[in-house]
This record gives sequence, structure tokens and C-alpha cells, in this order.
Amino acid sequence: MSRKSRIDIFSHTAAEDISAVNYAATAILNKESGEVVVSVPMQSFEFQKALMQKYFNSDKFLNTKPFPKAKFKGKISNLKDINFQKEGVYHAMIDGEMTLKETTKAISEMGTITVKDGQIIIETKLKIVLADYKIAFEKGKPSTNIAKAFDVTMKIEY
Amino acid sequence: MANRKYNIKKIILLVLLLGITVGGGIAYYIFNMPHIDVQAQKADYTVSTTALVSEYLQDEKLANEKYLGNEGDSKIFVVTGTVKSMDINLNNQKTVLLQEDADKAGVMCVFMAETNAHAAEIKIGEHVSIKGIIRSGANYDEDLELYENVLLEKCDLVKE
Repeated sequence: MSRKSRIDIFSHTAAEDISAVNYAATAILNKESGEVVVSVPMQSFEFQKALMQKYFNSDKFLNTKPFPKAKFKGKISNLKDINFQKEGVYHAMIDGEMTLKETTKAISEMGTITVKDGQIIIETKLKIVLADYKIAFEKGKPSTNIAKAFDVTMKIEY
Repeated sequence: MANRKYNIKKIILLVLLLGITVGGGIAYYIFNMPHIDVQAQKADYTVSTTALVSEYLQDEKLANEKYLGNEGDSKIFVVTGTVKSMDINLNNQKTVLLQEDADKAGVMCVFMAETNAHAAEIKIGEHVSIKGIIRSGANYDEDLELYENVLLEKCDLVKE
């Protein structure tokens, strides 16, 4: 089990770049089965602008009061290519599902697993298309300032 | 007569200008409003870790309804309990887990750059009070196969 994580989200539009960081996820990695689970407390995302943080948490966006956690649940599909006992950088295919608010979507991403000094570090990048999770903006300021997709970068140290 | 007309025009122009300045100022403030200063706020609740954790484990939905804010403006707690463990996260923030032996979960308190030095004074097994803003509650997570702790952030040690 790990509580050493960093999750970055980033969106880019002509109007504004928006980024936020979260260091509060809880994650597990089962080295035998390749199972990976990451639970993310959504109110821990820290934005540069307090206003953006408010929008992010509001019921117009991620509605974090009734849905305070997001979850990724997946499996490393090429487990045979990774030797957790031997130092090195391995490419990993991770198949699983992401739950945001009430919607669960299948995702499949490439990541790297670094084994060094007795530590295992998983890093992955993924794209979250807001409409996939029924996150839609009405017209107005946030809709023009926030892109339709977010880039998510995840780093977990086990 | 012409003079009066000129004066009215002048007044309207002035009012308009004032409106734009004040309106613009408010818009600027809202757009750049500062983050909440948790430690400067009065605590909404003072509780023991056992009480807060058991409230969440009994009815998570109800507790979220009571403690989490609509826009992330959640409740501020002073939580008292026994220090079970301490660590540091990837943002170099000290973390202190308050949990009693008999409880299934505890309260994870994340300090800040400004308060990290106070966390360094804390020792495992000590009984302390910590103030912070709640981000999420305790629950049993079937996928993680473990109990998740209540999470408080922007924490500082409360001196008795």
C-alpha cells in the first residue's frame, strides 16, 4: 500500500491553461497478480486559482460533495515482462477502469515501472475526455476556459 | 439649460465609470480570490478521532452531507487522538495519522510548508490535537481491501 503519490491534471485552451496537483491518493500494487488500485480524494486537488478549484468541486463539474473519491482499478497485462526483483525501467500495459462521479469507463494505458533501491515507481499518463464521464458544461465562462479533455499524469511510489 | 444637460451627461458618465471600476474590481477579485486560510478560520467541529471515524463508518453518505462543502469549502476540524504513525508525502508535507488501537481507521493529517516544523515536534504514541480542513471521510474500500482514513489537509498542531 502506498500513500506517496502525485497526480497532475492539465487542460489547455486558448483562453487559459489550467493545472492542479494532488498528493493524497491511496494506492495498492499486487506484484503477483499485477492488480493496481488508486483511490483519489477529489477535494485534495489544489489549483493555482481558488475560483477554478471551486468550479472543479461544484455540482456543475465533478460534484465532489456526494462523490468525494475517484478510483482507478486495473491490471498490468504484460506482467511477465516485469521483474520486480531486478532494478530497471519496464514498460507496462495497464488495462482497467476509471470511475469519476457515477460513471465507470474502461481505459487502457501505457506506463513505466521503475525498480530502484528496493522501491517500485509506477508512472502513467492518460487522457480523460470529460463527456465520457457525463461532465458537460453549460455555456458560460468555465466551458470556454476548460478544454474538453484533461491530461492526467500519475506517479506512485511503492 | 445647455449647461444642465451637460452636467447630467457628466454625472451619467461618472456613474458609469464608477460602475465599471467597481464591477471590474469585483470581477478581478473573484477571478483571483485567495485560497481559504484554514488556520486563520474558527474550527466548525472539535471531536475525537474515534467519534469522527465511527460517524463515517456508520453512515458515510450522511457524514459527507454534513461535512463536505459543495465547492470544496468543507468543514474545519480540531481532531484529538493518539499518533499512530508519521510520514512525509511527495510534496514534502509531513503527514500524521491519528488512530486509536481499537479503531478500524483513523484521521490522516497533512501539514503544510508553513506548519511542517510543528509536526516535527510530534512523537508516536503522543495524544495531540490537530486542526485542518476535511477532504474525504473514512470507509471500507473493497478494491483496496482496506479501511481508508478521514483526510484532513492544511493542518497545524493545536497547542493546549
